[in-house]
Amino acid sequence: MTGNAPAPPAAPGIGGAGAPAAVRRIALIANCLLNQNAKVCQGAHYRGVVGPVVAALRSRGYELQQLPCPELAFAGVRRWWAVYEQYDTPAYRAHCRRLAQAVAPLIEGYLRRGDEVVLIGLDGSPSTGVRFTSSAPDWGGRPNRPQDDWQILPRPGIWIEELQAELARRGLPALPATGWALDMGRFDEAGSRRDLEEFLDQQAAGGTRADGAASP
Amino acid sequence: MSADARGWRVALLPDALINPPERLHALLPDALAVLEAAGYGLLQLPAPGTQRLLLAVIAEQVAEYAHHGYAVAALGVRGEAGQGLHWRPLAALLRRHGVALPPRHIIRVQEDTVAEARRLAEFLAGYDLPPEEQRRWRPGVRGER
Repeated sequence: MTGNAPAPPAAPGIGGAGAPAAVRRIALIANCLLNQNAKVCQGAHYRGVVGPVVAALRSRGYELQQLPCPELAFAGVRRWWAVYEQYDTPAYRAHCRRLAQAVAPLIEGYLRRGDEVVLIGLDGSPSTGVRFTSSAPDWGGRPNRPQDDWQILPRPGIWIEELQAELARRGLPALPATGWALDMGRFDEAGSRRDLEEFLDQQAAGGTRADGAASP
Repeated sequence: MSADARGWRVALLPDALINPPERLHALLPDALAVLEAAGYGLLQLPAPGTQRLLLAVIAEQVAEYAHHGYAVAALGVRGEAGQGLHWRPLAALLRRHGVALPPRHIIRVQEDTVAEARRLAEFLAGYDLPPEEQRRWRPGVRGER
C-alpha cells in the first residue's frame, strides 16, 4: 500500500475565506464495524457493534458515517467466503460503483465543507480491505478449500478501489485511510486497537502517517 | 476462524442517534452503547433531506436480513422529522422488497437519559424472531436464547 494525501482535503472550494469555523471530524467506516451481522458466515468476531473501533473514534471527536456493505447487497448474507480474485468481475465492480455513487455526494459534501474525513476499512477483506486484501487465484468451484489456503496481499479490496475511484472522478483527493485487521487470518484485537489509535492520533497531529488506499 | 459471534439482530438508527446534534446532546441516551450491550448491529440511516439512493441501498440490506432469519427493528427519535427514520420512503421501499415493516421504538428527547436508555434496553432485549424462525435459520439455536 502506498501512502497518499494524509493532509486535510484540498478540493476546490475547501477551506479558505468563508469556510465554516467548526471543522468536523468524520469517520467513514466499514459497514460491518457497526454491524457484524454483515460478515460472511464464521467471520463475525462480535455480536453487533465493534466496540473498540467506536470507542477509539468517538473519544477523538469523530462523527460516524457507516458505509454500505457491498458483499451483503450483492451476494447475500449467506454467501460463501471469497477472495479478491473471485469478486474482481465487471458485475461486482459495477455494483460497487453504484454504491459509491450513492455515498459519494455525502462525502463530497463533507470535504467541500472542510471537514476532516478518514476512512476505516477492514484489512484482509476482498472488498473493504484498505492496506491488505485476501488473495487465492485458484479459488473457485466447490467451496471446500483447506483452512488458510489463501494469501494476504498489500493492496485494497474491490469496494475501496471503486470508492476511491469515484471520489477521484469527482476531483476529490484520496482519503486518509486504514483498516481494522479483522480479516487477516488471526485476529489480534489489542494490536488492531493500537494500530487504529496510532493512525487517528497521527491524523490529528497533521497526518504524518499515510496508510490510505492507493490513488486510483 | 473462530466460532461465529453474530447476534442475529439489527437496528435501523437515525443519524441523530449516532451523531447527536448539539441541541440533543444531553437529551438522548447513548444508543450505540445500549445496542452494543444488547448484541445488536446497526444500520445507519442518512441525515434528513437527502440521499434517496443511499436509502434504497439500505432498504435492500434490510430485505436481505429480513429474508434470512435476522430480527430487524427501527429506533426513532420523537420530535425529529419522520422520527429520523425516513419512514414513508423507507416503508415504500421495504414493501417493494416484500418485507414487513420492522417494529419501531421511539426514543423520547428528555433530560432523564438513564431512564430512556433503560427503556431502550428493555425493548431490545424483548425483541427477536419467533423461536421456530430462529431454529430455521440460525445454527445452534434450539428455541431458547
